[in-house]
Amino acid sequence: MNSQEKTYLPNSRTRRDIIKTFTFACGALLSGCASSDYVNGKLVLTQWYHQYGEKGTFQAVHRYAREYTKVNPHILIKVVWIPGDYGTKLATALLTPDGPDVFENQLSQAMVEAGQVAPLDDLFTPADLADFNARDTALNSVNGKIYAIKMIDDMGLLYYRKSQFKAAGIQPPTTMAELLNAAKMLTTSSRKGLYLGNDGGISALLNVLPWSANTDFLVDNRIVFNNPRTVTSYQALVQLNRSGTLLMGAPTDWWDPSAFTQGAAAMQWCGLWAYPAIYKAVQDDLGAVIWPALDAAGSPVTFLGGWSAMVNANRPHVEEAKRFLQWQWIQNRKIQLDWCVGYGFHVPPRHSLAVSTPKLQQPVPAYAVEMLSKYGKALPPLWSSSMTSDLTSSLTNIVKLGHPADQEIASAASSCRRELRRELE
Amino acid sequence: MRARTLGQKLQLALRYAILCALSILFLLPFYLILRNALMTDAQITSPHWQWFPLQPHWENFRELFADKTAFMWVGLRNSAIIATTTLVLQMLFSSMAGYALARIPSRASRSVFGSVLLTLMIPGAVTFVPTFAMMAWVGGVNTLWGVIAPGLFSAFSIFLFRQFYLGFPTEIEEAGMMDGLGYAGIYWRLVLPNSRAVLMSLGVLAFVGTWNTFLWPLVVGQNPSSWTVQIVLSTFLTGQTVQLHELFAAALVAVLPLVVVFLFMQRYIVEGITFSGGKE
Amino acid sequence: MTTTTQTARDGENRARKRLGTELSFWGFVTPAMAGLVLFMAIPMVWGFLLSLSRAQNTIHFGHFIGVRNYTDLLTDPEFLNSLWTIFVFTLFIVPTTFVFSLWLAIAVHNIPRGKAFFRTVFFIPTAVSYAAASLIARMSFYSGQSNGFANHIIGLFGLAPIQWIGTASPPWYWLVLVSVRLWLQVGFYMIIFLAALQQIPRSLYEAAALDGASGGFTVFRYITLPQLRAATVSVLLLNLIAAFQAFDEFYNILGGSGSSSGNIGLARPPLVYIYNVALSSQDFGRGAAGGFIITFIIVAFTLAQSRLFGFGSAKEGR
Repeated sequence: MNSQEKTYLPNSRTRRDIIKTFTFACGALLSGCASSDYVNGKLVLTQWYHQYGEKGTFQAVHRYAREYTKVNPHILIKVVWIPGDYGTKLATALLTPDGPDVFENQLSQAMVEAGQVAPLDDLFTPADLADFNARDTALNSVNGKIYAIKMIDDMGLLYYRKSQFKAAGIQPPTTMAELLNAAKMLTTSSRKGLYLGNDGGISALLNVLPWSANTDFLVDNRIVFNNPRTVTSYQALVQLNRSGTLLMGAPTDWWDPSAFTQGAAAMQWCGLWAYPAIYKAVQDDLGAVIWPALDAAGSPVTFLGGWSAMVNANRPHVEEAKRFLQWQWIQNRKIQLDWCVGYGFHVPPRHSLAVSTPKLQQPVPAYAVEMLSKYGKALPPLWSSSMTSDLTSSLTNIVKLGHPADQEIASAASSCRRELRRELE
Repeated sequence: MRARTLGQKLQLALRYAILCALSILFLLPFYLILRNALMTDAQITSPHWQWFPLQPHWENFRELFADKTAFMWVGLRNSAIIATTTLVLQMLFSSMAGYALARIPSRASRSVFGSVLLTLMIPGAVTFVPTFAMMAWVGGVNTLWGVIAPGLFSAFSIFLFRQFYLGFPTEIEEAGMMDGLGYAGIYWRLVLPNSRAVLMSLGVLAFVGTWNTFLWPLVVGQNPSSWTVQIVLSTFLTGQTVQLHELFAAALVAVLPLVVVFLFMQRYIVEGITFSGGKE
Repeated sequence: MTTTTQTARDGENRARKRLGTELSFWGFVTPAMAGLVLFMAIPMVWGFLLSLSRAQNTIHFGHFIGVRNYTDLLTDPEFLNSLWTIFVFTLFIVPTTFVFSLWLAIAVHNIPRGKAFFRTVFFIPTAVSYAAASLIARMSFYSGQSNGFANHIIGLFGLAPIQWIGTASPPWYWLVLVSVRLWLQVGFYMIIFLAALQQIPRSLYEAAALDGASGGFTVFRYITLPQLRAATVSVLLLNLIAAFQAFDEFYNILGGSGSSSGNIGLARPPLVYIYNVALSSQDFGRGAAGGFIITFIIVAFTLAQSRLFGFGSAKEGR
């Protein structure tokens, strides 16, 4: 080593460090992405859930997975629990070869047309099919084929405290005008009357409001919401937002009951899923109604929502995945019941289960189950998330920026019609 | 310093006053993170403002790392791997290319440099849809290498390294030539060790930038196993329920490493910014 | 004879040496250039083909529909609105950041004591990510309830709590978005200005003092500002490009597609729009087309700005 080299090479240690770091990083990288269908000779199926807010749900889905391996020792279920924007994350994962084998979601026609989900008709016996809620099955079918198994039926409820209604001398609202009045009566300096979410009900009531006016969105492949009834129903939301009775800026959104249980709002539009948590906080003072009719020509309404299980058609083990879903969501009544009423409350999509559980016989859940079957409304699989986004923008403009409702709705309708044309092409 | 007039003194006092007020404002968010991270949810949401918890709830951090649904460890680990790999490889690739463009005569030199400048014009964030499409096609979605790969190549840092090596003293290389070293030997044994300052400056900036990026990891890392700290934080805002104390503890954990890096490496970061800002 | 073989061998040697040099050159540039081709050139081509295709729930092009994705976008009020939103945002944030960071740099530069302290304080927020800053802003600083920091402070003056994020009139959410961005980036640009200020020769100021130009503003206008030309150009340019690509704080503060999506409609920047169209609605054709429209606008603005301020003279200024 000559003198010059010595002068210029004092840092070989640094470079060795760099190489070390690099090798370490590469090793970590490789170990992080090693994926294989089989682990210890067991076939691994990946199952995705969105993050349920209720305590115990995380442990429950892992328990179900273990139970399946107990019955089918050659299959391992790897559960992935996704907090945050589940819909986007799932849709993106389905585009890749390494997406989940089975997952929960709401079925859309676009998924079927893109060949992302496998048909599941052969998993149902005629007796099963008769036991499942026919409307759920219809919503989970495209062109006569079933692509999804309904796991839980969700619905919205307007929660209130009976004592507060009594003190204010009011009855549970049956029309929008009564709701507005109740919200006003129950608003105090330290408490708002009503909580509809941090955007003032725009996303929570986007569909519920027009339904409460007895109009709909997409019927027989036609966009039908561009009418005066939709306009009136959205204007009612404007009125609510301007009344100063709505709670906004809460830490959690409308689907979490904290705002109501902590007393920040006197009434909250939330879901049946939150009933156990709310009942624990409020006890028998708790009352609930579905969303009131817009006016005499309207009708009380709630949404028929929930989650369905599907099989990714682009994975190598579709048959095994189908068998697993059949076991979990068609044959295993114990799991289905546990999932429906063990944590949050959901209506079981199977009649035989819905009537068998005493938990749903309590006053509020019993009322909810009855209302759901009478007044529950849902959007068809053809309704796309672009359409929701178009309509949401319009309602934002109406509620937040004070744009004329009729023009905004007309413009949303023309955007939705264009989307529909693209889909039906 | 020359003596100041009364007017100048007043002006200076006013300037100090404004700077102090702004300092408080700039430090406020840090204080808020710390305050909330050490409180219970009830204390945070209490209408009675408390400037600092009398009994700091340090156990919030234990709770955060124990929470299996919060993915804090995973996020920290991924962010560290991603930022370190990007730091090392981006510096290596860019300095190699920058060195060659500045010092190795080639017929292709001009056209290669031209195409580097051309890619500088393309705003990185708007290529995310097609880049995602490609990533999905080659199976890079939900993997760490998928999150890392596009960040390894930066036209801007190639450009900066070229500028740096244009002004690099030739004596060092000449000494290497005398010793019979080829370009590879000169670069690896002489040039690289003597570029430590610029490697540090641009490297730290690359590390900070990678640690803090949001859009690309959000798009590519769908599965929690490939989330970065930033995505973990974001899910606290879009998730189903919110545990406020855990959320702020997470924010503190995510912010702290970089604040430490900034405090200890400030000289390099400032040099890096000056270098890249001045030469743009 | 010997001389010719000598020259021939020399020529051969030179040729071999040149080949060796060429090979080294390519050996050095290939990793970086291959990466740029892979992650810039190929995506651009792929994206362009996607933008001409109907690609619903798929990333593959092939179902070509001409320029319909582009015409659909340019007639979509939501998209035009997002362009308008980002235009207004940029128009506001770029000059504000410029003035604020320049003022900070000058103020910090001209104080006798505490320079390092103030520089660090204003610079340290640069270490924070947009995700973390958005979280603090939304859940603590600008929380809409009375326990939010801002509401607590105005409460001390007897004012009622303000909904900083959800209301449109007055549009407080702009205050939230702008202050988050300022907090995060002002220190960064201040550093660029500080470095430039240090390079201004003292003699210039002394000469100006001799000429009788002692008023602070005159000196600033005729000496400081012209000397900061190069820094000014790069600050404006970096800032403009960053503003046009805003995504993080809008997504995290106003809510993306997952949470209450009603608020994002108040101010949806183009990148959030594209994210929603491509990844939430899975229409990759339209998403790619949107990307190209934004690219076109950014390039046009950048060129216009560099023409306005003159890149050439900026280079001379160094």
